[in-house]
Amino acid sequence: MKTTLRRTLLPVLLSLATACTDAGGDASPGSADARTGSGGAGGATADAGTGGRAVDPDDGVPALDPDDGVPAPPPGTVDGRSLYENLCANCHGLHGEGAAGPPLTRSYQRDYLAEYIDARMPLGNPDSCDARCAAALADYILGDLLAAPPPDCAAPQPGPRALRLLTRREYRNTVRDLLGLGAAEAVPGGDACAALADCDVQRESCVDSACVADPCETHTFLFDAGGRALNTVHVAGSFNGWPGTVAAGGWPLSFDAALNRWVLKHAIPEGDHSYKLVLDERDWIADPGNPDTAPDGFGGQNSVLRQHCAAAPGGGDAPAGGEALELTALTRDVPPETRPRGFGFETHAGAGVATSIHVEAWLAAAQSVSARVSAQPARFAACLGQPDCPTVFIGDFGRRAFRRALTAAEIERYTALWRGQADDTEGLAATVEALLSSPNFLYRSELGEPQSDGTWRLTADEVGSALSYGFWATSPDAELLNAAADGSLLTPEVLEREARRLLGDPRAREQIGTFALQWLGVDGLETKTKRADMYPAWDPALAAAMLEESRRFVTAAVFDEGGRFDTLLRGDFSFVNDRLAALYGIPGDFGPEFIRAPLTGIANGARAGVLGHASVLTTSAHSDQTSPIRRGLFVRERLLCTIFGTPPADAGGVPDVDPSATTRERFRQHTAEDRCAACHRYIDDLGFGFEQFDAIGAFRDTEAGQPIDHTGNMNDVEGLGTGTDARFQTLPELAAVLGESQRVQDCFATQVWRFERGRLETAQDTCDLGTVQARFREAGGDIRELLVGVLLTPAFTWRREGEP
Amino acid sequence: MNRPTRRQLIKTLGGVAAALPFLLDPRRARAFDGRARRAIFFYFPDGIPGTSADGDPSEWHCTGNENDFQLGPVLSPLRALKDEVLFFNGLSMGGTDSGSHPGGAVKLLTAADHGNGESIDQYLARTVGGAAPFRHVYLGAMANVNNASGDKHISYPGPGQSISPEDDPVRAFERLFGAGVVVPPAPGSMPAPGSDAPSRPDRRKSVLDVALADLNDLRGKVGPAERARLDIHAESIRELERRIDALAPEREPGGGGGGAGGAGGEPAPTCDAPQLAAGDLNQGLLYAPDRFPQILQLQMDVLVQAMACGLTQVGVIQCSIHTSELIMSRFPGTEMFDAGYDMRSHQASHYGPRHDRGRREYRDYVLQRTWFVSQYAALLDALRRRPEGDGTMLDYSLVFCGSEVSDGNTHLHDDMPFLLAGRGGGRVNPGRLLQYGYERHSNLFIAMARAMGDGLGAFGDNSSGPLAGVLA
Repeated sequence: MKTTLRRTLLPVLLSLATACTDAGGDASPGSADARTGSGGAGGATADAGTGGRAVDPDDGVPALDPDDGVPAPPPGTVDGRSLYENLCANCHGLHGEGAAGPPLTRSYQRDYLAEYIDARMPLGNPDSCDARCAAALADYILGDLLAAPPPDCAAPQPGPRALRLLTRREYRNTVRDLLGLGAAEAVPGGDACAALADCDVQRESCVDSACVADPCETHTFLFDAGGRALNTVHVAGSFNGWPGTVAAGGWPLSFDAALNRWVLKHAIPEGDHSYKLVLDERDWIADPGNPDTAPDGFGGQNSVLRQHCAAAPGGGDAPAGGEALELTALTRDVPPETRPRGFGFETHAGAGVATSIHVEAWLAAAQSVSARVSAQPARFAACLGQPDCPTVFIGDFGRRAFRRALTAAEIERYTALWRGQADDTEGLAATVEALLSSPNFLYRSELGEPQSDGTWRLTADEVGSALSYGFWATSPDAELLNAAADGSLLTPEVLEREARRLLGDPRAREQIGTFALQWLGVDGLETKTKRADMYPAWDPALAAAMLEESRRFVTAAVFDEGGRFDTLLRGDFSFVNDRLAALYGIPGDFGPEFIRAPLTGIANGARAGVLGHASVLTTSAHSDQTSPIRRGLFVRERLLCTIFGTPPADAGGVPDVDPSATTRERFRQHTAEDRCAACHRYIDDLGFGFEQFDAIGAFRDTEAGQPIDHTGNMNDVEGLGTGTDARFQTLPELAAVLGESQRVQDCFATQVWRFERGRLETAQDTCDLGTVQARFREAGGDIRELLVGVLLTPAFTWRREGEP
Repeated sequence: MNRPTRRQLIKTLGGVAAALPFLLDPRRARAFDGRARRAIFFYFPDGIPGTSADGDPSEWHCTGNENDFQLGPVLSPLRALKDEVLFFNGLSMGGTDSGSHPGGAVKLLTAADHGNGESIDQYLARTVGGAAPFRHVYLGAMANVNNASGDKHISYPGPGQSISPEDDPVRAFERLFGAGVVVPPAPGSMPAPGSDAPSRPDRRKSVLDVALADLNDLRGKVGPAERARLDIHAESIRELERRIDALAPEREPGGGGGGAGGAGGEPAPTCDAPQLAAGDLNQGLLYAPDRFPQILQLQMDVLVQAMACGLTQVGVIQCSIHTSELIMSRFPGTEMFDAGYDMRSHQASHYGPRHDRGRREYRDYVLQRTWFVSQYAALLDALRRRPEGDGTMLDYSLVFCGSEVSDGNTHLHDDMPFLLAGRGGGRVNPGRLLQYGYERHSNLFIAMARAMGDGLGAFGDNSSGPLAGVLA
């Protein structure tokens, strides 16, 4: 009967619907699109918050201001249950378990829920349920319907047994460490340095007294003038329009006395380019340091630069230079990681599958590795020539590749493969290829071993891998392997000691940089399009600089600036190069290198922490205008872990760019209508506070000839429906509100938990997540303690059989 | 790349399909045999101008009866192909997640409520398409933009498991036609007959055999969810092994070897000298909106050639992603072009409650959707221009077209904008308008599978059998 009803009613109901919003996923920043609409048509705004709070019995209804609250119905006048069964059950399930609509949870604030139902439910026909009906429903839903005992946190709440396919990044790092390639130069925060000359100049910069690997996009131009006195050396090429002078846009090299070379580091756009060096703005020469040349059409030679960082969007993250570049190529043909709806990171354990495209790409990569091994067989297999070399090599290399000791059967299998080849070199190559093609290499195991109580527990080897991939995105080092092999890693003391050791290693910095871009949802920035006539500064180099700023800032906040979460929001410094300094209006002399700069010197448009990062402001904007909605959603979804439902069917679009109106005026309609305001009062009012910053994050004080009103309201920061206001004029003021919010801090812990565990939290994880959040709180918001804590909770090592 | 490529091999061997027996499935060497040989799924984002909130009639759906009907205005690019296409009114994806782009995208090819299942393209790739060198080819035009997450993509090998398309036509071409890992040595550098030199493909196979053995061991230790995942992995390895077998340099060029597909003028699509005219396209331009038409054209070109050469039987073409930011007003030489105004796909789809051609969003929306249809028409035309058997490639194909919602403004999942072109080897009789009342689209997929010779009985949720009226 219900099905028939739906068929006849649904089109009618939906055709009644009329308009709101920057609609659908469009309203979300970046890949966060995915998060909207998990509820689909039911569209309930689930202020899911953090798992730990979701079923906290104390997290109940706040004291009501009689003027604010929706009045409770007089007892006995309305039957919440029959209302629910008539109006809601068809979509949300008879027990609130969800059907066509999303499941209902006790995380809703009672007043907020009542208001929401009043304004929007039933979908498409909210008039059929008035305030009284809505209040009765809210009471019924939060009362009888969802009455469930709180979970017993004393009982184990295991996660699913899982295999986790290596991400492209993890694959590259693992190969790098397996072969001992470029480890020192490939990670940021490496050797101490006083100047560039102390580092590997081709692929590193000296930042904060440490040699830091340049991003892949950065190319280093080095020119040895051979003692010749020159006033200027600049680069002119297809990437910058072949300018004859520095004033016309040539990229100047500067003379580094310690190196006795002219040097420039500059981001190069993806693709093949030709260029020349221009000496004293007069002599055009091919770059003598670059053997790759092509005829210039005038009888001379151009130097050729082939830039291939972006194996795919988000793929341009590998360290640059020499062997590292070769590593980037290893995963060029591996398809990008996929993520399910609502998951912001590339580390999801269950989403990816190995297609034949993957298998072929991995085999090709394994062949590249084996070719390298074959070129210097003695370096990788010192035993070569000895009769027991196959078993020796397989035992050692295999243990590092599989992150556990091989079984006797496995050793036999690989030995047979080796011996089946023409000679030892071939055998070695085939063995390396096979080990790198094995699922034991390609997946890291979190399967565990069966326990007497019917649960499963991770082995010491698995815990070791979880630590090394969690902190380093690569395989365990010798010390960790040994701690796993002797079982000591399963003792809490050794586990914590190892976790802290790993966190102190430079490789952890790189991992935090990776986390940062995905947490902020800016990792697709390079695919953004902006109107060239409105934002002439926008180019690949600027995009790369924006990403680098976020990567460096978060990394520094965690490791160098005290490690407090508060710094991420309120830090009054950042890392900028000349492009960003110009964009932000930071006074001073800047070059292509990133340096730590105080933000306090900015005259207009004060910034603080990640909120002011151009990467965030650019991602959450359109090609031709800002988007208060996306910026508001950035804060709500990324920083507060609030999930909004899909906008109503027939929501309106983005208002036209009207030269006579400000963005605020054009978007104001969203909060005008009640049924839109149910959500948009939590989004737009907040987003308007970012209006001082244009679609690439530059300061502006007027729009459409009018002064900008950049008043924002960070309302209900501790939960939708809590009825608080927090007006702000500047980003530092917004940051102060967020920095004091427990909810924001808990949400950050949730995000770290998701990144490390490789899945979204479920009701099963309530206690575990609560433990992680509590520890983070107790540590005063120290992110390093959070990172250690998330892999140390008892629940992490307990597993259960997952659902098919 | 220095390595010899399949493309070079094809050229060397004389450039005709007859010289490539190992690329062609001999079973297909029969005339109009009542079996579709291939399926293509063409996707475009953000719906169509269907029935508006205020009740204006759809500009996509056809009016009339089965054999005498008028195309909706948006379908006008199909006028010359009207006899090659089945038009549908009244197909539904069900009420789950209705009103949502992501909900529609996960249901589109899975036909599973909440999208929690294998998609039909993957099913066909695994079954009737499973013997091809590439079981499945998934090509995108700007479909990985912004590191799109799973719900932006439409192909699901298993429940909750998605894959991402290849957005670079040059790499797609290289992967299919050459420079891949399984490419044999160029004919000139092949070991002399009788030579004992170890051949690379043999080592690859033994390497993969070891991987399969490890996989089998691991399979015994995991639960059902991971087992299903490892089974996909194992089948992927076997697929790669088949590619290696197919291209093993064991035969004289043009000589005996495997199948007899090309012998005696048997019908097969021509596969002469595959090539790709990518011009100045490079990786830095893959997400430049003005390049979208070029990239899409190239991807369709890659897929048609791959199918003509028997490299695959199942392909998916994904145009952008739902709630698309694609700035279609930058497509050069189109009516949509406006250098001074950025109109995005999803932006235009929210045209308001009425079909008001005086409103820019609506005017552009109609132009955009018509443009996507014209691209689908170009794909059909490319298939129709290539002879196969006693007809054309299109005669032996099934080409689905669809979006994740119906009307872009109301987001309904009813009266979906779906089309099916091709004669499926005689199994389908196109050129008709079929009308239903909320019939589930899963039944259309069952009909497609049946047309390809698979006995599929149920698919997704709430299917009831092959969609009535589709199969001849």
